[in-house]
Amino acid sequence: MNLDEVDLADNDRFQRNEGWPQFDTLRREDPVHWTAEAAPNRGFWSVMKYQDIWAVDRDTSLFTSEKFVNLEEVDDDLMDIRRSILETDGQRHLALRQLIAREFSPRNLMKNYEGFLRELTKRTVDEALTATEFDFVEKISADFPIQVLARLLDVPLEDTGQLIAWGNEMVGNTDPEFIEHTIDSPESEKYKHLPFRSPTTQDVFDYGRALRDRRRDGDGTDLISQLANKLPNDGVAMSDKDFDNYFLLLVIAGNETTRHAISNSMLALIEQPDQLRLLQEDPSLIASGLEELLRWASPVYHFRRTATRDTSLGGKEIKEGDKVVMWFASGNRDEDVFQDPYQLDVRRANVDHLTFGKGSPHLCMGNALARMEVRLMFEELLPRLAGIDLNGDVARVRSNFVNGIKKFPVTVKTR
Amino acid sequence: MTAEFEADLVVREVEPAAEGVVALSLAGEDLPDWTPGAHVDLILGDGLVRQYSLCGRTGDPGCWRIAVLETPDSRGGSRAVHRLAAGATVRVRGPRNHFPVVASPRYLFLAGGIGITPLLPMIGEVSAAGADWELHYGGRTLESMAFTDELAAFGDRVHLVPEDTHGRLGLNGILGTPRPDTLVYACGPEGMLAAVERHCVSWPPGSLHLERFTADVDRTGEPFEVVLERSGRTLVVGPGRSIFETVRAAGVGVLGSCLEGICGTCETEVLDGEVDHRDSVLDADERASNEVMMICVSRCRGSRLTLAL
Ligand code: HEM
Ligand code: FES
Repeated sequence: MNLDEVDLADNDRFQRNEGWPQFDTLRREDPVHWTAEAAPNRGFWSVMKYQDIWAVDRDTSLFTSEKFVNLEEVDDDLMDIRRSILETDGQRHLALRQLIAREFSPRNLMKNYEGFLRELTKRTVDEALTATEFDFVEKISADFPIQVLARLLDVPLEDTGQLIAWGNEMVGNTDPEFIEHTIDSPESEKYKHLPFRSPTTQDVFDYGRALRDRRRDGDGTDLISQLANKLPNDGVAMSDKDFDNYFLLLVIAGNETTRHAISNSMLALIEQPDQLRLLQEDPSLIASGLEELLRWASPVYHFRRTATRDTSLGGKEIKEGDKVVMWFASGNRDEDVFQDPYQLDVRRANVDHLTFGKGSPHLCMGNALARMEVRLMFEELLPRLAGIDLNGDVARVRSNFVNGIKKFPVTVKTR
Repeated sequence: MTAEFEADLVVREVEPAAEGVVALSLAGEDLPDWTPGAHVDLILGDGLVRQYSLCGRTGDPGCWRIAVLETPDSRGGSRAVHRLAAGATVRVRGPRNHFPVVASPRYLFLAGGIGITPLLPMIGEVSAAGADWELHYGGRTLESMAFTDELAAFGDRVHLVPEDTHGRLGLNGILGTPRPDTLVYACGPEGMLAAVERHCVSWPPGSLHLERFTADVDRTGEPFEVVLERSGRTLVVGPGRSIFETVRAAGVGVLGSCLEGICGTCETEVLDGEVDHRDSVLDADERASNEVMMICVSRCRGSRLTLAL
């Protein structure tokens, strides 16, 4: 692809899976690249190389999250209403993150949730494999991650269905199939005070607050109870708004991302069947090959920062206030770091991918949970399969933010 | 990224600036311009890198000044700088400014201890520009507070508050009434900055600017052995190398991401031996329990660690 044909703002191309050739061109020819946007937006810088992405992600004083982290530009007066830890930097960010961050440590997750997760995975796989033809997204990857979150939040069983429905309404806000008014349409202006510009979020807020109020002063150990009862270590209590946005982030952040991590990995294993065979012959390779699957899957294409002063990057003059986008997915295909980047190689050593970010205080808080979910799913699923094939077209999400699959029909033979 | 300035500079002068504090003048040619609030990296060898604010005059391409407090708990960074004598060379990178001064009719400067260093050139600049300002400068004792002689020239704009005779900075009085025409610049120890932040919540957004001393990790230390229980290997971790690097180099797979002790990705279970924790992930209880460690930065208090790797 020629440089003058690249347009990273065009969501339609990503639906056609045409992000990758654009990334390749930019890494080669214009690794820090300006894309103009329609007014009132000005445009954004795209950072495409692994090392540059790392440098941006770790320098929070030069590249702030406080001006929000998606391409959408948020009005100044709405920022504070919509701000979660994702868009908070500095001491306050750490204080809020540290309230529950250690619940997501590998060891605490193993101790508290591994048994539950194994059971849930088994059940999901058992149910899917009652048929020989099914949609992989619907039967395997769609609901599993949010069921895990429901457990961490200790949402009552009878409400889990509602949580799943909400989760699904808040994904893919640039895809008309998911949402009536896509975020790049004028109608979405009405909902701009709400995260994801989605009217559903108010219901989610109300639900979260009710859970919190019931758990005040209780002795629960779930995430809601901890947020309800712990004081952040900067001594400043969480406001109701802080809580709303934290709750919403927890419902959202690990849902679609983990779903697509599983779907993208499975699709890659079908398309590169020698790799599937390796994992099936030696299931112990699933744990060590997991990082390669995550590199491959790159469920979020990018996150955004904003320059806090004039600076230069890759020979380009970046101005204070410019949006700077880290294309993690491009860094995960950087040939200077990963040899033959388009080869899925589950025996590749030392895969330090950018899938969860790198060097940032915002590094995905749920990374160990996501790792555990993907690993357990493949450890349960792959040994049960004698064969798996595509059985129709793959439908992708219309988004340059999430790299996702909506539909993915398969036929399976079980052992 | 574009190449940053990096060069060996010559220590021209070493002056005692207060009890435990020395001011170093570093001479070079065509040193890049800097603005008040900027800092430089001193690259001290063996993976030891330390940040110091520039505290001399701006616009002097031949000389930079830094001031360094020798801290007893530091594992050698400030001590290495204190050992530098006139004529020695030291590798310097930068300058970078994360703490720039924004134009305003009025400023409140709040310094705690060695936190005076970035504020000193700011004061010079805003005075020259004719702004109205006050400095409240706290320290343990008057003798421990650097640059009080230079500050004396500014008369009653400067309030020195040595804790042994005057107690702590009275933040209630200083920050009690928000002023929309005033910007607050603060630098000092974490406790003071947290208190400043709490007092500034009712100030207009954007009023408060502060600089935290970065949680720099010290990667140096004596060599020790790591026993990798699952892989059945024993490796030696050399001085200035990390367990992470050593284990990877031996071909054993371990996860890592930030490599600076902030993200928790390299968390590893400890089976035996006492950990010298240097990360900023674990809390005090977790450190004391000695059950897990961050192998990208943390080391060993004795001669041997056994890990579940
Ligand atoms: C494979 C699945 C996942 C991927 C690819 C992913 C990716 C990311 C990335 C790239 C960020 C950094 C955003 C930034 O730097 O601005 C992030 C942040 C975050 N993620 Fe994940 N994530 C995944 C799963 C999860 C799960 C399961 C949870 C669990 C609740 C979660 C919770 C969070 C939270 C709370 C943050 C914000 C952290 C902060 O700002 O300090 N994520 N995620
Ligand atoms: S790799 Fe981030 S803490 Fe060690």
